[in-house]
Amino acid sequence: MIQAEGLTKYYGPHLAIVDVSFEVATGEIVAFLGPNAAGKTTTMRILTGYLPATSGTAQVAGFDVAEQSLETRRSIGYMPEGPALYNDMRVRQYLRYCGRLNGMGRAELAERLEYVTDRCGLNGQVDSIIATLSSGYRQRVSLAQALLHNPPVLILDEPTIGLDPNQIIEVRDLIKSLGGDHTVLLSTHILPEAQMTCERVMIINNGQIVAVDRPEVLTAQIRQAETLMVRVQNDNETIPRLLQDISQITAVRPGEQARSYYIDTEVGSDLRAPIAEFIVGHGWGLLALRPVEMSLEDVFRELTTEEKGVG
Amino acid sequence: MRNALTIAGKELRSYVASPLAYVVALLLLGVSGYVFTILILASPRAQTEHLGGVIGFMVSMMLLLVPLLTMGLLSQEKSSGTIELLMTRPVRDWEIVMGKYLGALGLVLPIFIITLQFPLIIELGGDLDWGMVLANYIGLVLAVMAFLAVGLFASSLTSNQIVAAVLGFSFLVLFWFIGIASYAVTARLGDVFKHLSILENLLDFSKGIIDTKSIVYFVTLIAYALFATVRSLENRRAT
Repeated sequence: MIQAEGLTKYYGPHLAIVDVSFEVATGEIVAFLGPNAAGKTTTMRILTGYLPATSGTAQVAGFDVAEQSLETRRSIGYMPEGPALYNDMRVRQYLRYCGRLNGMGRAELAERLEYVTDRCGLNGQVDSIIATLSSGYRQRVSLAQALLHNPPVLILDEPTIGLDPNQIIEVRDLIKSLGGDHTVLLSTHILPEAQMTCERVMIINNGQIVAVDRPEVLTAQIRQAETLMVRVQNDNETIPRLLQDISQITAVRPGEQARSYYIDTEVGSDLRAPIAEFIVGHGWGLLALRPVEMSLEDVFRELTTEEKGVG
Repeated sequence: MRNALTIAGKELRSYVASPLAYVVALLLLGVSGYVFTILILASPRAQTEHLGGVIGFMVSMMLLLVPLLTMGLLSQEKSSGTIELLMTRPVRDWEIVMGKYLGALGLVLPIFIITLQFPLIIELGGDLDWGMVLANYIGLVLAVMAFLAVGLFASSLTSNQIVAAVLGFSFLVLFWFIGIASYAVTARLGDVFKHLSILENLLDFSKGIIDTKSIVYFVTLIAYALFATVRSLENRRAT
């Protein structure tokens, strides 16, 4: 549904993105994950026809974004970063205006307006003046605008920015429910968000895509070791040294809590049973033993600070 | 064109909702009404010439007021980021420009309809040459249409409303007074400056002459300013 090939963009002498290529299949939800100024917004602006690429091509819904700009724009619902709202308009007025610009007929517009305001939780706010809305509601109005003409492709730039935790969950659930019917490309710099809402994650840094895969695969690929966390009741200094003598254990580090340790073991090994036996055998009093999952956050830090490519 | 009308409707609605439009209308109608009343009271008999004076006065006021009306048209979309919404909807750049232009025109023209009371008052109390009235009003409307187009262009150049207003006013003043240069240069070059001047092209209308040359001048100025605005928007895409 979305294909980008070798997208490169210069702002004057400043290079914003370099050779960005990716594909998003129909019905997929994909996140662009990257620190600020990584090139997420620039890529999205090229896809939506707001900016031309310096070189490279992109197709959205089968249309070339440069050659068939109007057709492309018709198939995209776009939520720009920092919602693009007219503060002096009422929510209903604003959505009607956007609907007309999308070429919607009166009856269709009335029906969709009801649907999107309901879907985005704006029922009580349709007659409010946009300037008076909280940032959470402003964000929802912008999202409603993107959904309004029922476009096959949704491009959402930082859709949950400025929301409180409850609203974030609501918006994430909403986005998740859009998959299947819509192809969704969203950008975020919040890692759990990408992990929770998206089937695939593209990590972008310094204008380059450094990794693309399912969140689980990314964490697995970058993982250097299996890590276990143990906590004991009767601590003594010999524990780390004695543990280290077990084969396949590569390192023992002190944990975050008192009397706890992180144990790194070889990739693919599962030493939970032998370690438990060992601790119990020494009478240290096993309080806890669990595997530590590497979060996407760690992957992200790994990839974006050391600029290390994966796969 | 449907899109342009949608945008025009939206602009008109936000004008009507803002105090700026009323201040401008009040100033224009109040001051021109005041001037008209003085002219009528000061002379024994109401005459068509009085109308010419008031209309000339209105045109010069619009020179100052139009940049205030047009300053936000595009600059505000830029500063608030809504330009990104507008330019990613299936709307052509010229439709955006036409929409903005027609919206502003839709605000100003009704104000001029109210000023038709001046010729009607003269008709009641004296003798009125309706041909003169027509020529004067054609001049007024053409000049204001040109002001709006130039003001809109200025608004497309910046994201700062004040800068847009100052730029628009500067462009208009330049076109207004460029004819003066004819006194300092050779006759042939002086003619060129005169032909470029808004003021010179308005003179015929105020004398009751509808000259094709002046109509062509204003239509060209309007078309050129709107075209430049479209290019200015396109240029944003290209940078």
